[in-house]
Amino acid sequence: METQTPDTGQLVLDTLKNIIDPEIGINIVDLGLVYQVSLDKQVLGVDLTLTTPGCPMSGTIETAVVQILENRFPEYQVQVQLVWSPMWTTDMITDEGRRQLDRM
Amino acid sequence: MPVASLSNSPSKWVVLPHYGFAACSFLILSVLLLFSTDAFSGHYFHPKLLTLTHVAVLGWATMLIFGALYQLLPVVLECKLYSERLAYYTFGLLAVGTVLLAWSFWYFQLGAVLHVAGCCLFVSFLLFTINVLQTARQAPKWTIEADFIATSAIWLLLTGFLGLLMAVNFTNPLLPHDHLQYLKLHAHMGMVGWFLLLVIGVGAKLIPMFLLAHPKDTFKLNWAYNLINGGLVLFLFDGLFFRSPLVPLYAGLVVGGVLLFLLYLHDAKSQAQRKDLDLGMQQTLVALGLLVLPLVLVFVVSVDLGLPPAVLSSLYLVYGLSVFLGFVTALILGQTFKTLPFIVWMHAYQRHVGRYKTPLPKDLYHQGLLRWQNSSYLLGYAVLVAGILLREQTVILTGSLIFCLAAILYTVNVFRMLLHKVHDLKPFTYGNANA
Repeated sequence: METQTPDTGQLVLDTLKNIIDPEIGINIVDLGLVYQVSLDKQVLGVDLTLTTPGCPMSGTIETAVVQILENRFPEYQVQVQLVWSPMWTTDMITDEGRRQLDRM
Repeated sequence: MPVASLSNSPSKWVVLPHYGFAACSFLILSVLLLFSTDAFSGHYFHPKLLTLTHVAVLGWATMLIFGALYQLLPVVLECKLYSERLAYYTFGLLAVGTVLLAWSFWYFQLGAVLHVAGCCLFVSFLLFTINVLQTARQAPKWTIEADFIATSAIWLLLTGFLGLLMAVNFTNPLLPHDHLQYLKLHAHMGMVGWFLLLVIGVGAKLIPMFLLAHPKDTFKLNWAYNLINGGLVLFLFDGLFFRSPLVPLYAGLVVGGVLLFLLYLHDAKSQAQRKDLDLGMQQTLVALGLLVLPLVLVFVVSVDLGLPPAVLSSLYLVYGLSVFLGFVTALILGQTFKTLPFIVWMHAYQRHVGRYKTPLPKDLYHQGLLRWQNSSYLLGYAVLVAGILLREQTVILTGSLIFCLAAILYTVNVFRMLLHKVHDLKPFTYGNANA
């Protein structure tokens, strides 16, 4: 995961931790679905992937990311891009995500 | 970096009515079971057993599978459903055809109503097959799962066609062999060609997905496909033209294919990152365990073991029951709670996610009811099988009553989800992410 503006990037990631993958029950950051957060002038960009292509939740998760960031950072224009490269694997789950999985 | 497309999910009105109709059918099936205890003491060609079987396979299993598939096809094939309009027509024709067919068999009226029912069902299957094949044609890449699903739809169409011919054959004899011979072919085309292939095609994608595993080697699935289809085609040709004693060999091919699928799932389970299994997945594993019974019984009923006719007759009944009320029903009871909560949740909360704290899909149904449903189903099924083997009507009635309880609990939970309304959402407060 790459963030271009450390302070805002961390705030964005903390905010996105409020979005829980509805099937797995873990937030999308610790699940490794957020690939990149960037800030270019007034545009806050997020590159996002899903656990599987064709996931029926794609629209829902994308909408959640847009809505929560617009709400939290009204001064920026939010752009979310769904990407499939690199393909998500379970190796992308963070240590915290694995701890949450083990606790379930 | 390639950009992904938006969600391919169809409208909820394409999907949800199937779940409602299927739940009602399951409840009606369990009530009809209470009034059919006398039918399990003889041959499987019995009006009440024909009714129960067709309510189970059409109103319950096929109806629910159609609905779930409209949601899952875009996931498995990674493209939009070809036509929602075709899906509505398919639903209407399947619903009408099932009701008319059930009425015809229960009262054993084999005339015009049965013919109309057969036509409705055949056209419904035709539209469904067109929808599946056209959707598959849009898939960005062709996978072995697509092979399973597309082939299962074609087998469904062939099953329906033979069923229609048999319905007409009651009053206008046109088939050269005796009716029971075609009944065997019809039943196995449905059980193996439609249900088994479809379950494998969808299960091979979804079960690893739910376990957070990504098995890449499709060798086992490819051979499962070849063996199952090979065994079924040989069985049909043999049954139509030769009637040789090689049926156990064909059954062996199919069983070999199923074992390969189970090995594939075992690989997925061993790679799983997610060790916890929710109630829906637990019930799915129970269904896979229940599959062992028909896999054994297929040899018992196809090899000449010199069993007394009465015993053989009971074993035939248990064989059919173990597929429809065993494996298929157990699987649906589990997978309903892996699909329906997400569909309802997605449509109810799509606009609210990210703005308000929303419940999770698993919060939309009652966990306690589901636990009791799974337990009562398994107990009812076991007692029912025991009653049929013992030829004891009281035991069959007891099993049916427990089974009825499972159906009531299932229906309550399904309608709890279908009628779910959004209320009292609280906005996010930041800085306290809790997951």
